[in-house]
Amino acid sequence: MSTTTAGGSGTAARGARPRRRTARTRARIDDVWTYLGLLAVLLFFGIPLLWMVSLAFRNQQEILVTTINPVPDHPTLDNFGQVLRSAQFPRFLLNSAILSAIGACGAIAVAAPAAYAFSRMRFRGRPVLLVGVLALQMVSPLVLAFPLYRYFASLGLLNSLPATGLVYIAILMPLATWMLKGVFDGIPRDLDDAAMIDGATRWVAFRRIVLPIAMPGLTAVFVITALLAWAEFVVPFILLTSPAHLPISVGILNLQGTYATNSTGILAAGSVIAVLPAIVLFVVLQRFIVGAFVSGALKG
Amino acid sequence: MAAPTLDTTRSRQGAIARPHPPGSRRRAPDHLAWLAPLLAMATLFFLWPLINVIRLAFTNSTLLRDDYSYTLSTFGQALTDPSLPGVLVTTVIFVGASVAGQLVLGLLIALIIQRAISRKLRGAVLVRSVVLSAWVMPGILIGVIWQIVLNEGPFGLVNSALASVGLAPVSWLSDTKLAVLSVVVANIWRGTAFTMLLLYAALLTVNPDLYDAAKVDGARKLRTLWHVTLPQIRPVLLVNTVLITIATLNTFDMVLALTGGGPAQATEVLALHTYNAVFVNFNLAGGCVLALFLLLASLLLTAFYSRVLPEEQR
Repeated sequence: MSTTTAGGSGTAARGARPRRRTARTRARIDDVWTYLGLLAVLLFFGIPLLWMVSLAFRNQQEILVTTINPVPDHPTLDNFGQVLRSAQFPRFLLNSAILSAIGACGAIAVAAPAAYAFSRMRFRGRPVLLVGVLALQMVSPLVLAFPLYRYFASLGLLNSLPATGLVYIAILMPLATWMLKGVFDGIPRDLDDAAMIDGATRWVAFRRIVLPIAMPGLTAVFVITALLAWAEFVVPFILLTSPAHLPISVGILNLQGTYATNSTGILAAGSVIAVLPAIVLFVVLQRFIVGAFVSGALKG
Repeated sequence: MAAPTLDTTRSRQGAIARPHPPGSRRRAPDHLAWLAPLLAMATLFFLWPLINVIRLAFTNSTLLRDDYSYTLSTFGQALTDPSLPGVLVTTVIFVGASVAGQLVLGLLIALIIQRAISRKLRGAVLVRSVVLSAWVMPGILIGVIWQIVLNEGPFGLVNSALASVGLAPVSWLSDTKLAVLSVVVANIWRGTAFTMLLLYAALLTVNPDLYDAAKVDGARKLRTLWHVTLPQIRPVLLVNTVLITIATLNTFDMVLALTGGGPAQATEVLALHTYNAVFVNFNLAGGCVLALFLLLASLLLTAFYSRVLPEEQR
């Protein structure tokens, strides 16, 4: 189609189908609007991130200069060095990793059998239980944390990462159950029925047949729950009080308290390091996550 | 976790291989074994704490001493707290404006990205990634970043930008009205990605024939959006609205890092107020009363949610 290459040439060909040409031109104009829209969105969401990165690479003098140029004249890695050499910061990262791992793995371990039962079995009270699981999702961790704080304190479990990890599992499992139910619903029942006719128990059919097929879905649930755990704030903020046990999502507050007045660069560098694992994990596995949402909506 | 109960069935696999016909007697207790870990965790970490929140709301307990007695006066004190009306107004503004902003912006971005991807324009995935990056960040970090962006010191981005075009600096975080606006904008920045994802997924489910039909009828784009697209994604819109309302109602991490609830309680939302009651004022019982309000609001929204949920998902 030579007419698609817009410009001044090809008058004769254009004259033949004027209507289509205007439709194309209109689509082109709309493309420009779409690009402008993308640019506006990119600026609104990207500039605060860019600014944080920019400050992280600036030295003390350049931070105090009023400028909107994001590229520093004398970029430095000092801020990163200071953050990573600090006593607490690497510890925060490690604690976050531990809590995220416990939370995501635990939530899947608890949710997967339940989700399978919701997907495959019909039993009394199933609809009520399903809505009940949903209701759990709606309960703010803040509400749970008050009594848990009391009881953890009396049991000597404040500042215990494993105990706090159990709470992470609890608050992540409702979402994991609903998502995994969706995943299992998408796998034909005939597969496990066939395995069971061949003599496998339901448990074996679940483990050997259903779980391997569900791997992409499991991955998406793992990533989403791990990210939520990485960002979880209320539970560690209340149940963990000593700096040595804090995850990064709370620890940054300490950093803010310690440095904010004299060194924004260090805070920015800390923030960059803190979000990097989440963003890398997310961008790499974005397909799975968008896919999970899309398949969920398609079924809905 | 599921192992103890389920191992018994697994060990049978070597024995007589015989299918269990549907409706056989083993089925009734079977699902309980599968649900047991979930139910145990739910009892331990949801049911039990919830019972205790309700119980503690009827006491005078504080974090400062262990003993307490039962009383109804905590409710009265919490409800007549002179700062409560201000907190509630702030909460309504914060939640209302955040939800409205996230819905409009999320829908707009979803439409833009859908069009960009369907026209194979470049940059759509990049933009989507950046929007989603904001969403996966811990709330405290978002507060820290926006504190830097809106800072009234020399490194504040917005005021630097204003200065570069000759405008006077604005006190984004120390003026009581502007601080509320700042908190709302930061929260929209944070939460829009979720709405974008859900609505983007919903848009993909709309039958393209409907758009063609609208085009043949000569409908303009805005009319098509209003009369074709939005009714088609209505269930998802409703569900999404409820979810982000609950999420916004219950967060305070970003606010804590951005303004700390200030200046002068101007940005102290109900969740932060509840936290402060317990861990700043050590008034455990009063905090539990406020927590009950949060819970009640969430449950009402959930009841609404389960009504609008598509039939087959229930």
